[in-house]
Amino acid sequence: MSADTDHSRGRSGPAVTSAGDGKRLVILNDRTLRQRLVARDEQALVELVEVATPWLLGVTHAMLSDSGDAEDVVMQTFVTAWNRIGLVRDDGLDLVPWLLRIARNRAIDQLRSRRRLQIKTNLAGALGGLGESVTPAAEPNEAAQPGWHVHETVKAAVGALPDDQRIAIQLAYFRGLTQSEIAEHLAIPLGTVKTRLRLAFEKLRVSLASVKDWNL
Amino acid sequence: MNPHDWYVEHRVDFVARTLDSDDEMSFADHLRRCDECKAAVQAIERDLAWLPMGASPVTPRPGFRHQIVRNIVGGRHAVWRRWTVPIALAASVLVALGLYVPERRESDRLERTLAIRTGELTSLRDSLSVMRQAARVLQASISMNGQEGGLLIFADDVSHRWNVVVHGLPPAPPGETYQFWFICADGMVRGATVISQGGRPVFFTLGMPDEGGPVMGAALTMEPKSNRSPKPRGKELAQLTL
Repeated sequence: MSADTDHSRGRSGPAVTSAGDGKRLVILNDRTLRQRLVARDEQALVELVEVATPWLLGVTHAMLSDSGDAEDVVMQTFVTAWNRIGLVRDDGLDLVPWLLRIARNRAIDQLRSRRRLQIKTNLAGALGGLGESVTPAAEPNEAAQPGWHVHETVKAAVGALPDDQRIAIQLAYFRGLTQSEIAEHLAIPLGTVKTRLRLAFEKLRVSLASVKDWNL
Repeated sequence: MNPHDWYVEHRVDFVARTLDSDDEMSFADHLRRCDECKAAVQAIERDLAWLPMGASPVTPRPGFRHQIVRNIVGGRHAVWRRWTVPIALAASVLVALGLYVPERRESDRLERTLAIRTGELTSLRDSLSVMRQAARVLQASISMNGQEGGLLIFADDVSHRWNVVVHGLPPAPPGETYQFWFICADGMVRGATVISQGGRPVFFTLGMPDEGGPVMGAALTMEPKSNRSPKPRGKELAQLTL
């Protein structure tokens, strides 16, 4: 596929292809999109916002349990990305994971700065399945949601963990608690939390290796 | 277990941000100095890059995507919009100033000219009024160096002013000047020094003197410029009696 073809496809919006056992959505050529963003192509920004916003809102909403705060973080994330896209070294990290990392870090910073430990641990007590928002959120249309296959794969990988490790991962990664906070919340020794998280992350690194190079 | 082992053990925890803040800061500081840990952390970040996608997506409320784009792109345009009005205003002020300054100068010049002309007109009207209202007109001929001139007085008894015309006189010799006098009951009182204008008539208006008593007449003499006394010392050229 030539660069021109990639570019034109990127401009024309998401392209849907089928692969393997499930729906596979290849949205954009990531490198081309990055180049267009660096060139301040506003249409590229529109495309990135279109694809990434539901996932960023998913992460921030799960962590902050507040729609307004979640939207604020997502807004800040895109502003940061837009301003820094030309400064960030292309180290192989795709755009959407990069945005997810920014959003998650900002959400954690906000959680910690507001000292909302009590609130979030209370909310975490009512924790349901992975990725389920504490407050009701609009249900996405799976068929139209780019990246749904990635979500399903990650969800399956986390779901395959033993219960104690899965809960530790949910609290640590999707609720933003530190190891000490998890130990306090679960009333278990800190060392036990560290062990559970270490084992869980080791397994996830292996199980997620297959999605590492995906394009969203 | 050496100190570096602790960092090796907590690489994943740092990436996942499950360390307490003090440990997190310590690890970040270590990363700036340890290329091995830096590379290992980057590898873990790549392995777990998609892990946040485990959270269920949330459909944005209507208009939120547009709001994001507008906030970013609109912000860029707003920079220009922010400066457009001040620049336009500044340009307008400069243009207005550029037009105003010369116009203001011309306006000031015209105002000054108008004031001068108005003063002259007022003076002429005043002089004419003295002539038109004159109850008496006195005239005397003067012969100087073969030239025939004269002294003419329009006496206005209403305003108690005289309009005096001196004409046909040659220029005063060096060191001398023409001097107009009032002849009063108590003696002579200085009226005005007459400066010859190259043969042209000299007009001037005088009010009656405060001293010397009632005015009985007038005289024109040729006085040395050095004469500062209240009495004439030079040659009398003309005398008029009311």
